Amino acid sequence: MRRLLRRLMAPLLLGMLIFASGAANAHPHVWITAISELLYAPDGSLTGVRHAWTFDDMFSSYALQGLETKTKGVYTREELAPLAQTNVESLKEYAFFTFAKADGKKEKFLEPIDYYLEYKDTALTLHFTLPLKAPVKPRQLALEVFDPTYFINFDLDDKDPIKLVGAPAACQLKIQRPNEATATAQRLSEQNFMNGDNSNYGAMYANKITVDCP
Amino acid sequence: MKPALISRPLRGFLLGIAAVLAFVAIDGTVQTLLAQTPFGGPRPSAEPQVYLEISSTIRRAKTDGSAVWTLLAISFAYGVFHAAGPGHGKAVISSYLIANQETARRGIVLSFVSALLQALVAIAIVGVGAFLLNVTAKTMCGAERAIEIASYGLIAAFGARLVWIKGGSFIRALQVSPVGAVALAGHPHDQGHHHHDHGAGAHQHGHDHGHDHQDSHVHDAHCGHSHGPEPGELAGPGGWRRGLAAVLTVGVRPCSGAILVLVFALAQGLFWAGIAATLLMGVGTAITVATIAVIAVSAKDLARRLSGAREGSGALIMRGIEFGAAGLVLLLGAGLLFGYIAAERATCF
Repeated sequence: MRRLLRRLMAPLLLGMLIFASGAANAHPHVWITAISELLYAPDGSLTGVRHAWTFDDMFSSYALQGLETKTKGVYTREELAPLAQTNVESLKEYAFFTFAKADGKKEKFLEPIDYYLEYKDTALTLHFTLPLKAPVKPRQLALEVFDPTYFINFDLDDKDPIKLVGAPAACQLKIQRPNEATATAQRLSEQNFMNGDNSNYGAMYANKITVDCP
Repeated sequence: MKPALISRPLRGFLLGIAAVLAFVAIDGTVQTLLAQTPFGGPRPSAEPQVYLEISSTIRRAKTDGSAVWTLLAISFAYGVFHAAGPGHGKAVISSYLIANQETARRGIVLSFVSALLQALVAIAIVGVGAFLLNVTAKTMCGAERAIEIASYGLIAAFGARLVWIKGGSFIRALQVSPVGAVALAGHPHDQGHHHHDHGAGAHQHGHDHGHDHQDSHVHDAHCGHSHGPEPGELAGPGGWRRGLAAVLTVGVRPCSGAILVLVFALAQGLFWAGIAATLLMGVGTAITVATIAVIAVSAKDLARRLSGAREGSGALIMRGIEFGAAGLVLLLGAGLLFGYIAAERATCF
């Protein structure tokens, strides 16, 4: 019986490895250029994050497909409202690709508010605010923006992608963009291990933002 | 006598494992190479840029007709590298080919049929949905999701059927193998024919065959293959039908990248360029899937050659590999259907 089990292991192993090696090569279909604001209350606590995500022009065209407008090629905020609604509803499933930790503790966000879409230079930009469930005042805040499955690639905008709005003067902002060399090294080691766990593959493309408030 | 009986299947088993590992190593190497060249060395983000170039090239093609050639070249290359990612039926087709004793030639044909079918389904969805009916992306995405679920369901059903067939062959091989015969060691037998003499009532075909063979290889033409095709049978029409059923389960699901490109091309007034790009992406995808399929078939041939000469144990290993591959098709289908395995998402948001 043990020998039989061992025989069965081989094909199973083979299959899992084929699959794992394939899944490790996931790549994005949608590109987002992000600008985000961290919103602080007068008492210096963080209350939420305001995102402005600009989609690549291919996805923008796709999203606009079949949308009726008064003037061709011009999309008003009202005309885009149903699409913005769809956007925030679908993004909920992915936790809005926004992951916050206050002094190492995971923080939760409420449903987005003040969301709308804007169409400019052939690209759609989705604006929305994610309020924190409870405002926090940590010594260190860590915020990551990324898609764990790497279907979406997030790039922080080149210039001033993160702004602190109303933060205490002593707070220091640090931004770490995904490093391609690290990403390559991680990818290769992941293939070597072939553990089949690719659920967090996109983490190596995460944009890491930290705010230290001593 | 006894040590020989034990070591033979073991040796065959180890050889089988070696073949499997070799396959995995080659597969991994091919994929790594595919992912790295020729777009600027080993950068995981190289491919994304290729994809972005598709949209800028379509834009350029509006004013500059020669950009269409660039578009076609990029699309083809994108297809080749893109297929190294999840989806595209690579795992299902390879597993199917291993489960059935398919030839490399058939593996290539089936890879091309499935990849081109994927391209045609994408063109049909966008052609009917966006071009004729002008529905929204949300509606098209709904159609895409429905097709996706149907595809996963079909893969699971097809896998279940394979498991049923291959499970039967595997159990029969177990019953006649020398591993089973070890339990009967000491029982007097004619040489080589011992494995038909279990005495267990379940073994109804015990006396029907095996006597017209030279001693050591006995059941190859009968038990082991009774439900699987003979190598010679593969060229027959029935075999093709089975293979096409396999690729249909995979091929009905369009690639979401192709749909994005098609809708974008349509919006730019260059739908035909999008169609041409999608077809070339399909050809590129087919080449990658076919390469992996050929490697899968060759690995199995190698495993057969290394273990096959060793009478019952070799056949047992082969039936075991086939059964495992059949099980994998079922697991893939079920995993995809219930969301345990993340495939390429449909672009729905």
